[in-house]
Amino acid sequence: RLSFGRRRHREPAAERCPPGDGGSMRCQQVSVLYFARSAELAGLRCETLSVPRQITSLQLWEEIVKVHPRLAVIRDQVVFAVQQEYVLLGDQLLNLQPGDEVAIIPPISGG
Amino acid sequence: MDENEDTPKDFIKLKSEKLSVDEVSELVVSPYCGAVSVFIGTTRNNFEGKKVIHLEYEAYTSMAETEIKKICRDVRQKWPSVKHIAVYHRLGVVSITEASVIIAVSSPHRAESLEAVTYCINTLKASVPIWKKEIYEDEYSWKENKECFWANSEK
Repeated sequence: RLSFGRRRHREPAAERCPPGDGGSMRCQQVSVLYFARSAELAGLRCETLSVPRQITSLQLWEEIVKVHPRLAVIRDQVVFAVQQEYVLLGDQLLNLQPGDEVAIIPPISGG
Repeated sequence: MDENEDTPKDFIKLKSEKLSVDEVSELVVSPYCGAVSVFIGTTRNNFEGKKVIHLEYEAYTSMAETEIKKICRDVRQKWPSVKHIAVYHRLGVVSITEASVIIAVSSPHRAESLEAVTYCINTLKASVPIWKKEIYEDEYSWKENKECFWANSEK
């Protein structure tokens, strides 16, 4: 049985968000939640990531895969839930607010 | 009798304890209803020739409850005579033959509650963020509902 650590992500904000660059590059701390197979591949269930406020759902996925490369294998089988609304991986522009909750949603199997 | 004392209610619960069909059915019973329809999803002992030891469920709990509430709202729009709805889903380990989900709906006449229960389980499988892991003797598998539009149908 796998056990999951709880690791707070501490990537320096300066690497993604150049100083003095306001507007769409301003970074937000969002909570990322991992479930089912994505939690096994990432090795954890939740963490805080710093991402640009204006970002497409596909760009957000790519940011997350940079941190957890093993997630790449499930890219064609996941959707996001952003603030508990399903979002496909694609060109949809997200307007993330600080503290927003983003969940990786592998194919569901309730019932 | 005072009709106002029997306002339509939704009962939604995700829990790790064993589910009780009696408990869930009793939630939806109403003196104004002649029908209570119940669906029970139980754990099978085999999949594609492999022996299933047990199932394990996990959920994005807050969103799952929200999605089930949406299903209840849709049921009431489609079948306005439906009185009470109960959706109970088990989380964690579920042994063979035990219930993983119980859905109960009451209505004055049977057609509406029968149809509403079918709609509830079909829509739950398509939209509620709950995941099932099948544990076999030597391996395990994360299941994917065919109703889930972002699952690959061919591997």
